[in-house]
Amino acid sequence: MLVPIFTLKIKHKIHPRMVTVGKYDGLHPCLTCGTTASKVFVHNPHSPAIAGGRVAVQDSDISMLTMNQSVSALCAGQLDPSNDRDVLCIGTQTNLLAYDVHDNKDLFYKEVPDGVNNIVMGKISSVDVPLVIAGGNCTLQGFDHEGEDRFWTVTGDIVSSLALVDFTNDGHNELLVGSEDFDIRVFQGDDIISEMTETEAVTGLYSISGSRFGYALANGTIGVYDRSARYWRIKSKNQVMAIHSFDLDGDGVPELITGWSNGKIDVRSNSTGEVMFKDNMTSAVAGIVDADYRLDGKNQLICCSVDGEVRGYQTDKSRLLAVDANRSNDNMRDLNLTKQNLLLELRNYEREQGPMKKEQFTPMERVEGGVIPASTTIATELVIEEKENPCIELVVSTNNNDTVVRMVVIYAEALYEGESHVTHPPANTLSNKIRVPIFPPKDSAIELHIQAFVSLPGSMNFHVFEVTNHLPSFSAYLYQQSVPQIPESCVSFTLNERVPRVGIWMTENFILRHEIPCEESIDAHFIALRGGDLVFKMDSSGQVQIHTDNIDLAGDLIQSLASFLRLDHLQVTAHFPLHLDKLNSIMSTVNGLQSVTQKLAAEMTDHSNLIRSLVIRAEDARLQGDISNMKKGYIEVQDLNRDLVNGYKVRSANHQELVTSMKLVNQIIQKASHLRVGKYKAQLVTQCRDAIKTNKHSALFKIIQSGSA
Amino acid sequence: MELDLDVVDYIQVAVTDKKCMTILPNNDKRRVTQKVVVGDKNGVLQCFGIKKRDVNSIFKLLPGPPISSIQLGGALGTPQDKIFVASGSDIRGYSRKGKKFLDFNSNLTEAVANLWISGSDLIVGGQYVFNHFSDCVDQGYYLASDKINDIMCFPVNRKEGDGLTTVLACNDHVLRGCELKYEAEVSGAPQSITGYKGDGGEGKGRWCTGTGDGKLGHVLLSGEQPIYNWEIPNESNYGGVSCLSHYDITGDGVPELIVGRDDGRVEILSYDAADEPTLRFSHNFNESVTAVQGGVVGSLGFEEVVVSTYSGWVTGLTTEHLQKKVSGNFHAGGTANAQDLVFDEETERKLETLRSEVELLQQQVENERTKHMQRTSKAVAANSNEMTHAPTFHVNDRFVLSPSDSSYKLSIEVQTAIDHIVLQSDVPIDLLDVESTSAVVSYTKNPPNPDGTPNADNFLLATYRCQANTTRLEVTVRSIEGQYGHLQAYIVPRLQPKTCVLRRYPIKPLSLHQRVHDIDESRAMSSLKLIGQFSLPEVHSWFVKCLPDLPDRTPTGDTATLHFRNIFLETQLVCTYRKGEAQVFSDNISTISILKDYLSREATLKKIALNIQYEVNDASMRGAIQLFHPKLDEQLMLAKKVQLLDALQELQTHEGNMEFLAPEYQQILEDGEDLKIKFKKQPARLERLYGMVTDLFIDKYKFKGINVKQKIPQLLETLDNYDQESLIEFFQQT
Repeated sequence: MLVPIFTLKIKHKIHPRMVTVGKYDGLHPCLTCGTTASKVFVHNPHSPAIAGGRVAVQDSDISMLTMNQSVSALCAGQLDPSNDRDVLCIGTQTNLLAYDVHDNKDLFYKEVPDGVNNIVMGKISSVDVPLVIAGGNCTLQGFDHEGEDRFWTVTGDIVSSLALVDFTNDGHNELLVGSEDFDIRVFQGDDIISEMTETEAVTGLYSISGSRFGYALANGTIGVYDRSARYWRIKSKNQVMAIHSFDLDGDGVPELITGWSNGKIDVRSNSTGEVMFKDNMTSAVAGIVDADYRLDGKNQLICCSVDGEVRGYQTDKSRLLAVDANRSNDNMRDLNLTKQNLLLELRNYEREQGPMKKEQFTPMERVEGGVIPASTTIATELVIEEKENPCIELVVSTNNNDTVVRMVVIYAEALYEGESHVTHPPANTLSNKIRVPIFPPKDSAIELHIQAFVSLPGSMNFHVFEVTNHLPSFSAYLYQQSVPQIPESCVSFTLNERVPRVGIWMTENFILRHEIPCEESIDAHFIALRGGDLVFKMDSSGQVQIHTDNIDLAGDLIQSLASFLRLDHLQVTAHFPLHLDKLNSIMSTVNGLQSVTQKLAAEMTDHSNLIRSLVIRAEDARLQGDISNMKKGYIEVQDLNRDLVNGYKVRSANHQELVTSMKLVNQIIQKASHLRVGKYKAQLVTQCRDAIKTNKHSALFKIIQSGSA
Repeated sequence: MELDLDVVDYIQVAVTDKKCMTILPNNDKRRVTQKVVVGDKNGVLQCFGIKKRDVNSIFKLLPGPPISSIQLGGALGTPQDKIFVASGSDIRGYSRKGKKFLDFNSNLTEAVANLWISGSDLIVGGQYVFNHFSDCVDQGYYLASDKINDIMCFPVNRKEGDGLTTVLACNDHVLRGCELKYEAEVSGAPQSITGYKGDGGEGKGRWCTGTGDGKLGHVLLSGEQPIYNWEIPNESNYGGVSCLSHYDITGDGVPELIVGRDDGRVEILSYDAADEPTLRFSHNFNESVTAVQGGVVGSLGFEEVVVSTYSGWVTGLTTEHLQKKVSGNFHAGGTANAQDLVFDEETERKLETLRSEVELLQQQVENERTKHMQRTSKAVAANSNEMTHAPTFHVNDRFVLSPSDSSYKLSIEVQTAIDHIVLQSDVPIDLLDVESTSAVVSYTKNPPNPDGTPNADNFLLATYRCQANTTRLEVTVRSIEGQYGHLQAYIVPRLQPKTCVLRRYPIKPLSLHQRVHDIDESRAMSSLKLIGQFSLPEVHSWFVKCLPDLPDRTPTGDTATLHFRNIFLETQLVCTYRKGEAQVFSDNISTISILKDYLSREATLKKIALNIQYEVNDASMRGAIQLFHPKLDEQLMLAKKVQLLDALQELQTHEGNMEFLAPEYQQILEDGEDLKIKFKKQPARLERLYGMVTDLFIDKYKFKGINVKQKIPQLLETLDNYDQESLIEFFQQT
C-alpha cells in the first residue's frame, strides 16, 4: 500500500488526460488541469495570482483560464530558449494557444485545422529549438516559441498519443506517435524509423529511461517496450487513464505508474511488470505528473482524480525494505500454491499408473470420469472454403470417432472484437470436428491460440488440447486461375531479385493450396474475401506490377515484400485513378469551403458591429423613455442574433466538412508514402506538404504518382 | 474503535470443508499456546501448535476418506478436548494426542455433513436426516423437509442431567428446534448458527444465524414465539455467511462475533452496552472462509482469530504486530536492529526449505510428465485402445439469488489457479461487471442461424481470462422471468495436462422468486387451477423445476402449500398442490401466465391431460401497479436527477454561487455523489421495470384471448410520461 505525503481536495472536476504541471514563473510548480465549462484551472499554492485577461481568480490559490472552446489537450513546458519560464499550451479542436501564465499574455494563437488531440513539448533531433508538437487528425505539426511552423508530417490515423523518447539512444529525442490504427510510429525528423503494430488504439505513451518507454491501449493493456522489442504487457478489464514513470522506491530505476478508470494507481517494475505498490483513489484517475510540489528539492509523484482529489507520493528508500517484507510473504504464498499444484498434478499422474483398457470402464465411468482414448490427437487446418461466399475456415478435429470436440476457444489478438472467440455447437450436432469460420479484419499476421475441449459424448469433464496456428498476413486473398477483370489501379516497380525468392515470399504470406508456378515469372490472381481483386505479376527482368484498387493493400504488400527482401529503399510508380479523382474533388471542395469560411467570418464581423450599434440605439431609446423604439431595437437585435446562430451552425457544419476533407487528404498522402520504402517515403511527405502549402495541386498528383516532384 | 490485526500464515493443507478446523482448549495449567486441529478433503487430520513462529506438528494422521466436519467434545464438566471427526458415514474420536478411542458407523444412508457432541450424546446430520445417539445407541431421528445446513444443540455448556435441544438450520429459511418443535423463520437460507455470545445466553435459546445471502441475525427461541432481536442486512453485497464463532479478542469480558463469508471476508463485530453489534474489523482473504475460531495460538498473551480457507490455508489474525517490527527500521534509515534480522533470517530459512521442497516436487512432476508424454505418444503410435483420465480438481461453486439487486451471483472457486472460464447460456441473460474480479471478459457475438433466426443455443458466450493466481471468480447474472434454460460454466484451471470441468446451473422460469413463510392475505389475487391425472411427486417435480429454493424431496403429507415473493416487484405467489390438483394464486398475472405455460408444457411432455381453469381478478391488476408505482417513480426521478446533474455542475463552475437556483436543484447538487452511486448500483433497473409492466399488460390480455402486441408502443409512451392513474387507466381500457 502506498501512503501519500500530501492530499488536496480541489473543488473542481478534472477532465481525464488534461493534467499537467508547469513552473510558469520559473520557480514554483503549478498543477494545471482542464475542467468543466471549457476552462482550465491553475493551482498555485506558492505565489498569488493576479486576475485580468483570461484569468479569473476564484479561491486564494486557484485561478481560472477561460478558453471559450472545449479544451482537447494540455501541456506545459519550456518553449522559449531565452528564459526558463514554462509556457502553457492549450489545444482545442481548431486552435493551439501558447500562453504565458506568469505575464498573463498569449505567446501565439495558431489555427490548426486538423485539431489538437495531443500535445508534447521538447526538442526533436531535426530542429534546434524546443517545439510544441500537436497531433491532430493524421497530422503532426510543430511550432517554436514564435509560433513559426517548423515541423509537419502525416501519420496513419487520428493521433491518440505522443511522446518524446530517445529511441536510438543517441542523446536526441525521437517522436513517438500512437494512433487509432493501432500503430506506434517512431519519427526521426521526417523519417519513420520504426513501426510497431499493437492490438488496439494506442492511448498512452511515456518515456521511462533511455530507449525504454511505456504504452497503454484502449482495451486496458499496458506494457513496456525497449526500442521495438516488447518487454512485457498485461491486460486489465479497466481503462487506462494515465501512464507515467517515476522512481518511487529510490533504487535509481524509474517504475511505470498507471492510473485506472476505477481509481486504482499501480506502480510496476519497468522490467518485469510486477506490481510493487498500489493505492486506490475514490474516483477515476484523471492524470499523473511529477513535480517538486513541496519545494523541498525532491520531486513528488502527483496523482489527480476526476473529482479533484490530488495525492502526492514521495520517493522513499525504506520502500525497498517494505517491498522485501511483502515479497517474502507473497513468495511464501506463491511457493505454497505451486507446491499444491504440483502435488495435485502428481496425484493425477498416480491415477494414470497402469494401463487402462476401454473394456475396464463402466459406461458411467467413461462419461463422468472424462476418459478418452490415450491415442487421441488433435489436428487443426486452415482451409479456404469456396462456397458462394468464400471464407477461411479453421478445421479442428480429433483422430478417432469415439471422441467429440465439444467446444473450440480461439484466443487471437486483433482478430475479434474481444480477445477470444468461442464456438459452441448445439449438443445434438456434436462430432469429432468443428469448423470455425474466420474473417480477418485486416492484413496482418496473427497467431491463433486454439483450445479444443475433447471428451466422450455426454461427459462433464474435458481434456483441453492447446494448439497454436499461424494465420499469414495476406490470408484473406484466395488464389484463382484468373480473375474476370484485372483492376485498373496498379503500382509498378523493379526488383533486383530472382523470381523464386518472391515466390517464397508468396508461399509464406498467403494461404495457397498449391504452389504458384514461379520459375520464370509470376502471374498470380486472387479474390479478396473482403471484396476486390488482386493481381500480382513479376517478369524475369524483375519488373513487378501489383494490380488492386485497394491502395492500403498495395502498400502493405510492398512493405511486407521490402522487409522480406531486406530492401532499404524502393521507389514505385503508382497509378490510382480512383484515389486521384477523389483527391481532386476533395481539393476543390476544400477550396470552396475555405472561401465560404472567409465569407462567413466577414459576415459575422458585420453582424457584430451592427449589434453593437443597435444595442446603443435601443439603450438610448430606453433612457429617453421611448419604449416603442427600444422594443423595435431589441427585436432587431433578436433577429440578428437568430441570424448569427444560423450563421454559426453553417460555419460549424462547414468546419466539420473541412476537417473531414483535410483528414482524407492527409490520409491519401500517408497511403501514398506507404507505397514507398525508406528515404522515398519521407521525401514524398515533405514534397506533398510543400505542394499543398504553395497550392500546386497538379504537382501533388504528380508526386503521388511518381514519388517525387 | 477499530481493531488492528495482522495476518500471519501458518500452514496449508488440502481443500477444507465447512467446520473442519478448530482450536483445542488448554487443559494444562502451564501457560502454553493453544493447538489447532484441521482436517481436509484428503482425509488428513492434523494438529499443530506454534513454537517461536514455527509450525510444530503434534500429530498428523494418514490420508483417508475426505473429512466433512470436526467437533470437540468430552465428558460433561470437563474440558472439551476430545476431537470428533466425521468422514463419510463414520464418526471417529481422537484424543488430543491423536490416539483413536472411538470408531463408530452411524449407518446413515447419507454422508455426515454436520456433527454436534455434547457429553455422551452424538448428534449427526446428513442432508435431510438427523440422528441422535446416546453412548452410540440410537435415540431417534428426524426427517427435515429441506436440506440441513447446520446443527447445534443447547445448552452449550451442558451440565450433568440437563436436557438437550437440537436446532437445525434448514435451507427453507427455517430454524427448527427439534424436541421443542419450534419453527422460526429467518430472512434467508441459514448457513451457519452459533450460540449467542458463545454459550447461547446461559441455557436460554439464543442464536446468531448467518444466511446464504449474507445477512446476520439474532434469534431468541424460548417462549411460544421466536423473538428477533437484531438483523444486519447485507447492503454492500458481501458473500454468504459460511461460519460463525464467538471469542473475546478485545479482552473486555464480552465475546466478539466472528463472521466468515464465502467471498473471503472475515468480520469481527463487538457488542455494545445495548448488545447491538458493531463492525470492528474486516479482512478479505479472497477465497471462501471455511471456519473461524478464536484462541491464543501464535504467541502467548496475544489473542487471535484463526481462519481456515477453502484451499486449505490456516491463517491467524493476531493482535501481535509482526509487520511493525519490520517497518520499525524505516525511520532508522536502514540500520536494522538485531530482532529484525532474526525475523528476516527466519522467513528466509522458511522460504529456503519451501523452495527446496518445491524444487524436489518439480523434478518428480517433470519425471511423471515425461512418462506421461511417453505413454501418450506410445499410445498414439500404437493406436492402442488404452484410455486416459482427465485430471480432476475440486470446484466449489455457488449460484445464489441476491435480493439486494435482484440478480444471481455465481461464484466459482478452484483449489488451484484458474486459467479461464467460458460461460455459455441458452437463455437471454445479462452478465454484470463485479468490481472485485480482475478477469478480462470478452464476448463472442453469435452468428445467427443460416435461416436468419437468432441463435437460440448460445444466447451468451463469454470467456473470463483470469489474472495470475486467481482462484476465485464472481459473476453477477441478471435473468428475466419466464425465460428459462441453463447457464453452463466450463472451468479450466492452470493445471497440466490441461483439463476442464463443466458445471451447469438451471435458470428457472420464476427465477426471481424467493421462498417466504407468510404472505399478505389482503391482496387481491388472480388464480389458476390445474386438474389432471398426476401424482404428488410429479406435480412437486414440476414446481421444483419452476421455482428456486425447493427441495427435490416430495413433501410429506397429502397437500403441500408453498409461499413465494418476487424479490424485484414484491408481488406474491401461493402454490397449493396435491394428487390430481394444483392451484396457484398471485397478484401478478405474469407469474400465473408463466406457471401456466410451464406446467402445461411439462404435463404435455408426460402425456397428461390437464384441465386448466383460471380467474383473472381485475383488482389484482390495480394492486400490482400500485406495487410497481413507488419503484417506477423512484427510478424515473433518479434518472431525471442524474441527467440534470452534469448541467447543474457546469453551471456551478460558471457562476460559483448557486443560491439563485430553486431549492430542489440545489438539493440535487448537494446529493450529487449519492445519486450517481445509486444510479450506478442499479444498472438497467428502469428497463427491467418497463419490461415487467409490458409483460403484465400482455399477459392480462392473453388470458382474455386478446393479442395486444400492437398496443405496446402506446404503453411505452404512457410509461415515458409516467403517471400512476393514467397507467391504471391504460390497463383497464379494452
